[in-house]
Parts: sequence; C-alpha cells; structure tokens
Amino acid sequence: MVQYKLSYFPVRGLGEVSRFIFHYANIPFEDNRIGGDDWQKYKSETPFGQMPVLEADGKVLAQSFAIARYLARKHGLAGKDDWESAQLDSIADLLKDFNTELRPYFGIIMGHSKDNKDEVYKTVFKPTLEKNLPILEKLLKDSGSGFFAKSGVSWVDFHVASYIETLEGLGPDVVANYKEITKHKAKVYALPQLKKYLDSRPKTQF
Amino acid sequence: MVQYKLMYFPVRGLGEMARLILHYANVPYEDKHISFEEWPNMKTTTPFGQLPILEVDGKPLAQSFAIARFLARKHGLAGKDDWESAQLDAIADFMKDVATECRPYFMALMGRGEGDKDELYNTVFKTSMEKNMPVLEKLLKESGSGFFAKSGVSWVDFYIANFMETFEELGPSVMSAYKDLLKHKETVYALPQLKKYLESRPKTQF
Repeated sequence: MVQYKLSYFPVRGLGEVSRFIFHYANIPFEDNRIGGDDWQKYKSETPFGQMPVLEADGKVLAQSFAIARYLARKHGLAGKDDWESAQLDSIADLLKDFNTELRPYFGIIMGHSKDNKDEVYKTVFKPTLEKNLPILEKLLKDSGSGFFAKSGVSWVDFHVASYIETLEGLGPDVVANYKEITKHKAKVYALPQLKKYLDSRPKTQF
Repeated sequence: MVQYKLMYFPVRGLGEMARLILHYANVPYEDKHISFEEWPNMKTTTPFGQLPILEVDGKPLAQSFAIARFLARKHGLAGKDDWESAQLDAIADFMKDVATECRPYFMALMGRGEGDKDELYNTVFKTSMEKNMPVLEKLLKESGSGFFAKSGVSWVDFYIANFMETFEELGPSVMSAYKDLLKHKETVYALPQLKKYLESRPKTQF
C-alpha cells in the first residue's frame, strides 16, 4: 500500500481538494499541517519552495493541481474519459484565473495590502464574481448531474466547493444570490464519504 | 479522422504550445487566428470568454493547459506514466505561477497596466527570473534527457521554450545567465518535426 503524506499550511486553501480526495476515496494519509518555523525549515527541501507537497512512498510531487489530478486519476475522480478530464481541467484552471483576479482583495483581507477594502471590493471583487460565478453556474446546469462532470463527482467539485466556502465566509451577501453554486457546495458537503472528515476538521477562514 | 480547430490570437502566447504539439505529432488542424478587433464580438460565444479554444469535431475545450494536456496525452507528449505526467503538470503550473508574478511587468510593457515598465523590469521581472529560473535549470539537470521529462520531449518543453523565446527578447541581459534554459530552447527548436512550422510561422514579440 502506498504511503502518502500531504504537507500544507493549517488552512484549506490549495490543500483541501487533495484532503477531500483522500477522505472520499478512504485512502489513509498523513495530513501534515505545518507553518511558521517548521515550514521555513522544510521550504528548501520542497521542489519549488511552495506547498502543498505530496510524498508518495517518499517520492515528491508539488503543485496543488498536479497533486489533485494525480490522486483523482487513481481513484476515479477525474472524469470518465480523457475528454471529460480535459473539461474538468479547464474548469479548475478557470477557477485559478478567477482567484488570481481576486488576489488584490484577498491581499487586503489577509493583511498583506494596505489598499482600500471598499474600493477594491467595488472595482475588483464584485465585478470579478459577477463575471465568473455565472460561468460556473452555467457549467453546472449544462452538466445536469449536480456536479461539474456529467459522469459524477470529481476533484474539481471538491476544489470549487472549498473556494465557495471561503467566499461565503467573507460575508452573508457575497454569494447568496448564486443559488446553483451554493447548492453545489451543499451537495458536495453532504457526500457521505466526506462526513466524518467534515465533522472533525479544523474550521479555517481560508 | 478527428477535426481539430485551434482558435487563438495571432500571437504565440498561450496558443503556441498547442500548435507545436500538433505540428510535432503531424496532426492536421485549422490554425484559426482571431484578431484583437474581432475578438470582442466573439467573446460571448466562447465557454469562458477566453482564448485559446480547441474545437474537437466541433466540441469546444477551453484553457491553454487543458488543451495542451489533452492533445499531449493523445500523442505521447505527456510523460511515460501518470507519475511523470504529474511531474510535468507541476512544472507547467510552477511556470504559470512565475508568469502570473511577472504579469505587472508585461501589462506595463504592453501599455495595459499601471506602473513604470523600467522600474517593474527590475522589481518584478528581474527578481522573479533570478528566483525561479535556477529552479527550472535544476529540474533540467536532474532529468538528464535534455527535456523536462526523463523519458523525452513533452508539452511542457514546448510551453517553456516558448516562454524563453519571449523572455529572452524582452530581457536579454537577465536571461543570458540561464545557459541551460537557453540551450533547452535551442534543443526544442531543433526538433526535426518542428522545422517546417518554425520556418514558416509568423514572427511575433509574444
């Protein structure tokens, strides 16, 4: 049996998708949550000076989407064929672009940036949400399965749901009008295979 | 036979790796250039309001990496197994992070962003290259094949060689330090399967 260790900060962020995969597929793994000095010590050992990092029998793989896709493919969570896998890849990368556009706002929330929060909310955050969330909702409608792939749940559902959880946490009105995407998050979080983990995992803002 | 149509702007940018894959694998396709002028009219007809788009027998696939990975998997350009594919995915996503980091410089250069381009050259571009290019060179050394995968050429070699072509022209004094990456670019561009295309394609700055 493969020995897995996932190293990431003690937040959801870019690591949660892979934690969900492990728990959904009922694969034992070491959920190595590190930060601070431990991270500084570990950093130079990582391929790109970043986390998450996956160790599989001691061999190292970096980058959140590479890790998630690798694990997902092994456990039937990457679409039913190469075409569906590719569609899922495109949705994940769209979300990555979406997050990149929102960075100026998250930077303020996390205290990295001193720009004006209300100003950036108006000029960056709200328009970016209004552009991207309808696209995600249309994809869900077109799929018809309740998940992003017609064939069923995938790693991309896990990643999107965790992101929507973060957006919801920013304020009661942030995504409340987007019924399809909030319904999707609820559906993912109701998956029986995730229940034990969701009940026990630490609550974090990001 | 599958009908492929790749739609992208008349630049290399995020479309070139798909073009290189198709030429390398000798797969016929329609290389449709969408001008910047006609793009606003076409934008709403695309899945995510972005290019490139690959149409496969009329069905659209968005996002440059999803497209490249899909084509690469079909044509033996995505590593020899799932682990090597994942390592390649990680390198590509790392490079995407680097490109995102450099974006303020590129936007200023194209007159589409704030800030002084000469200042950003030093504070953003040069800093990013000095931090990140050695990481790529180390990966090349570890591979030993002359390409990023031990097993041989892949879509990620095309992606990175294309970036190096752009970066080298924009910052020759910074990039000249990275001899292994420049050599890698030459190795990729010397592949006989690419010769005809490289000689005939339009020369573009990006």
